[in-house]
Amino acid sequence: MKTFVALVKREFLDGKNGYFRTPLILAGLTVAMVVLSVAGFGTVIHIEDIQLDDVHNLGDVLTRAVAQKPEHVPAGIALAYWGMSTMTWIAFPFVVFFSLLSSLYEERRDRSILFWKSMPVADWQEVLAKLVMPVFVAPFIFLGIVIAAQLAIALLLSLVVMFQGGPVLALWPLGFMFKGWFSMGFQYLIMALWALPLFAWVLLVSAYANRMPFLWAVLTPIVLIVGEDLVLGTHRLAGWIGEHMAGWQRDAYHDISVNGHIEGPRDLYQIAIGHLQWDAISYSFTSLHFWLGLVVAAGFIWGAIELRKRAV
Amino acid sequence: MTDNVIEAPVIEAKGLAKHFGDFAALRGATFSVPLGRIVGVIGANGAGKTTMLNAVLGLSSYEGELKVLGLDPSKQRDALMKDVCFIADVATLPKWMKVFEVLDYVEAVHPKFDRSKAMDFLSRTQVPLDRKVRALSKGMTVQVHLAVVMSIDAKLLVLDEPTLGLDIIFRKQFYQSLLEEYFDEDRTVIITTHQVEEVEHILTDVMFLKDGEIVLEADMDALTQQFIEVMVAPGKEEEALALKPIKQSTTFGRATCVYKNIDRETLATLGETRRLGLADIFVATMTGEGQ
Repeated sequence: MKTFVALVKREFLDGKNGYFRTPLILAGLTVAMVVLSVAGFGTVIHIEDIQLDDVHNLGDVLTRAVAQKPEHVPAGIALAYWGMSTMTWIAFPFVVFFSLLSSLYEERRDRSILFWKSMPVADWQEVLAKLVMPVFVAPFIFLGIVIAAQLAIALLLSLVVMFQGGPVLALWPLGFMFKGWFSMGFQYLIMALWALPLFAWVLLVSAYANRMPFLWAVLTPIVLIVGEDLVLGTHRLAGWIGEHMAGWQRDAYHDISVNGHIEGPRDLYQIAIGHLQWDAISYSFTSLHFWLGLVVAAGFIWGAIELRKRAV
Repeated sequence: MTDNVIEAPVIEAKGLAKHFGDFAALRGATFSVPLGRIVGVIGANGAGKTTMLNAVLGLSSYEGELKVLGLDPSKQRDALMKDVCFIADVATLPKWMKVFEVLDYVEAVHPKFDRSKAMDFLSRTQVPLDRKVRALSKGMTVQVHLAVVMSIDAKLLVLDEPTLGLDIIFRKQFYQSLLEEYFDEDRTVIITTHQVEEVEHILTDVMFLKDGEIVLEADMDALTQQFIEVMVAPGKEEEALALKPIKQSTTFGRATCVYKNIDRETLATLGETRRLGLADIFVATMTGEGQ
C-alpha cells in the first residue's frame, strides 16, 4: 500500500500542471471574473423565475428573491455557484485523456522506464497507479479546487452584499452546497465506472504505441466504426462508445424526464442531489452493459500490464 | 541463512539465448557468477552484452534456463529488484523529477534504500537537491543515479557503461568508492564498459563476448598471467620467434612479442617482460591470435 501511494504521488508530481495548476488557474480566473463583475455594478446574478425590475444591485436582487420565492433561493444560489465553476471542469476531460495517453508511452520514450524497472515494484502496480491517478484521484482534486472557488465566491459576494445591505445569510445555503459537492463526487464515480473501458483503452494504447499514440487512440475506433458501417451497415461500436461516454444516462434518468415535475431551482436541485444518484446506481448495477464494460476494461488493463512487463 | 544459500551462485545460466526475428543476439550462453565478485563483461558493440544483462535483470524474455538469486527474472522481476540494482543506460532518471523527489520515491518503494547514505554521497558533489534532473549536467545526473544505487543494500549490482560521458576525475573517484565503500564479499558487481583500462584493476573476473557467444570466462589473475609481452633484446629475435608469439610488432626499433601460456622464466631470458593489459588481451582473443 505504501508503494502504491508513492506511485500515485509520483504520477501526481509528473502531471502536476494538469492535475493541479490548470484547475487552480481556471478557478482563479472564475473568481476574478466574479470580482470584476460585482465590483462594477453589482447586478450580476440572473436567477430564473425572479423578477428583476427596480433592482440596483446584488443586495436588492437577494432581498427581492428572498421576499418573493424564499423556497427556491437556497437551491438557486447553490446552482449559481455550480454554474460559476463550470469553467474549471472544462479542462478535466482533456487532463484525463492526455495523462492516460502519455502515462505508459512517455516513460518508454525518455527511457526512464529503465529506472522505474530497477525498483522492486510490480508492473501491475505501476499500471494501476497510472490509471488511478487521472481517473480516480484527479477528479477529487478538481472538486476540491471547485469547492474552494465556490467558498471564495460566496465570501466575496457576502462582502458586497454586506455593504449594499441585503440578506447575507442567503448566500450561504450550506446544506445545499454540501449535498451538491457530495453528489458531484458520487455522480462522477458512476460515470467513471461506465467510462472505464474507454479510459482503459487509452491506457492500452499508451502501453502499445511506439509512435503517435494520439492517432492510435482516436483513429483506431474511427476506422472500426467506418468499417462496421461499410461492411455490416450497423453502428454498434459507435453506439457502445456513446453509451459508455455518457449516453447511459438517457436511459437511467428516463423516469425523471417523463414523470419529473420541475418547477424552479429547488426541484431541479432536489433531483440532482437525490433521485439522480439512486437512479444511476439502480440502473447501472442491473445493467448488463455496465458489467460488460467493466469486463472489457479489465481486459484492456490486463493487456497494458502484459505490455508493460515486456517493455524496455 | 543456510550455507547452501551462500554457496549458491548469484547468476546461473544454461543455454541462455535470445532471438530477435532471425537474428540471434545471444546463442546459448552457459555461465555462473558467484557472490563476492566484480565481473567485467567485455565485447564489441552488438556482441550481446546488453541482451544478456537485460535477461538477467528481467527486462526481456529469453530462451534457456536462468536463475538470478534463485528467482526467474522474467517472471519475478519485482521480487528480484529487492536484491538487484542496475543502471542500464545513461540518463534514465526521470527528467521531470527534482533530485530530492527521486530520493523520496526510492525511499518509499525500496526497503533496502538508505537515504542518509545517499545524502552523504551527494554531499560530496555539487548536485543541488531542489533542481530538476532535466536541469542537471550529464555528469551530475549520473552522480545522482550512482548515489541512489550505491545506497541500496543489494546483492547484485549491474552497471552498463556507468561512467559514459563523465570526466576522468569523477570516473576514478567512482571506481574507488565502488571498491572501498560498496563492494564486499556479500555482493557481486557486473560492469560493462568500453574504458577497459579504468576497470581492469578492480575486476576479479572477466567475460568476453563475441557475436552472442561467451568466448572466454576467466579469473582475472589467472588470465593476466597467461599473456606475457616481451621486449626482445637485440640478437635474441630468432629465439623469440621460435617460441611462436601470438603477436609481434616493432617499437623503437626493437621487436615486441606477445606469448600465451609460456613460462615467464623462459621468456625472461629473451628480454624485458611485462603483463599484457586487459584491452590487449581482449583484442588478441577477438582477432583469434590468442586462440
